[in-house]
Amino acid sequence: MSDLYLEIVSPSKTVFKGEVDSITVPGTLGKFQILKNHAPIVSTLEIGELRIRNKSEIRFFAISGGTIEVLNNKVLILADSIEDVDEIDLERAKRSKERAEKRLQLKDKDLDVPRAQASLARALNRIRLKEIHSSKRI
Amino acid sequence: MATLRDIKQRIKGVKNTQQITKAMKMVAAAKLRRAQDAIINARPYAKKIQSLISDLTSDDDINSNPLFIQRQVKNVAIVVITADRGLCGAFNTNIIREANRFIDEEILKENLSYSLFCVGKKGKDFFTKRNFNVVDSFVGIFSSLDFSFAQRLSDRLITGYINGEFDKVIVIFNEFKSIIQQKVVVEQYLPILVDKNTNRNTKASLNYIYEPDRKSIFDFLIPKNLRAQLWRFLLESNAAEFAARMTAMDNATTNAKELIRTLNLKYNKERQASITKEILEIVSGANALKSSQ
Repeated sequence: MSDLYLEIVSPSKTVFKGEVDSITVPGTLGKFQILKNHAPIVSTLEIGELRIRNKSEIRFFAISGGTIEVLNNKVLILADSIEDVDEIDLERAKRSKERAEKRLQLKDKDLDVPRAQASLARALNRIRLKEIHSSKRI
Repeated sequence: MATLRDIKQRIKGVKNTQQITKAMKMVAAAKLRRAQDAIINARPYAKKIQSLISDLTSDDDINSNPLFIQRQVKNVAIVVITADRGLCGAFNTNIIREANRFIDEEILKENLSYSLFCVGKKGKDFFTKRNFNVVDSFVGIFSSLDFSFAQRLSDRLITGYINGEFDKVIVIFNEFKSIIQQKVVVEQYLPILVDKNTNRNTKASLNYIYEPDRKSIFDFLIPKNLRAQLWRFLLESNAAEFAARMTAMDNATTNAKELIRTLNLKYNKERQASITKEILEIVSGANALKSSQ
């Protein structure tokens, strides 16, 4: 019954294109799932986990905000940045976490606090998802 | 009359130039590949976010959101995107000519004023030298093209537009069509134009569920869209620049080859003529001796 067409694009590339059974996204008002014949919806997305299921295959992505539009079984996700959990570079995420934490601790006057917090949240999200899903697979 | 040595030196010079143009062509080709990938990957996002906005916009939004409202135009901001460097054929000339035409025909003739924003050194040099009203210019951004620049410039344009500094924003840039073709494009950046041909009203009247609500979604999407569009313009121009430079340098290399061929021919002819002349001198000298005996 995979008649749900999904397209995920980020500013740097088209990440996913194809038919799926269900999609779970971190909406601004809470996590929700989209199945076939979902009502038309437009929602902003938060930093979190995006899950795509197709038959028995499940894929996980780390998403850092964006928008979703669902209309007539066509789903469009415009992600600010997104990556497959398998492709996350754990070391890099840890480094950027440390960097963001250090910046927040120093409390510099010129510090762009929301930006540093957002960067910390993104790093934490990547680390969390990577750890959850890699332990599951072993 | 060129002597043999002159011609030889000339050939050497042309050969050196040919080597340089050949190297520049290779560099441009390598950079072009990366720039081309970047623009091809960035296009879908820019296109989708724009069509999402024009799908969601209703007539109410067009009349209420400041970024959509068409105001009485007095001052137009013109963003001219050129390259930082030359030697890329008519790339910069085309943009500058189009900007000039635009200012003449659509601004000065209508008694409007304008503010120029120059991205790229070539445009800046041209327009500041001729005392155009250049408000701001950005040089050297193409050497490490970064999204944060698109964000900064976009925010600057939005603020200026909302403050009433200008009533319309136009961007003039080279679009990357293919390796051998660039197209000068004049795009209206602000107020945002929605495509009236789509079945916008039928789509907007669809009862979308909005989460969290319509206004927050618009406030979230519109600046994102404007940044993405500007980012696309910059990437287009960047890829087009390398393509133009590659073609220009390829032509220069071919021309140099042709030049070397003709010079070689000339050199050989000259050499033959001088040999003939020498023989003639010896023979006539010998003859003179013989007849005098």
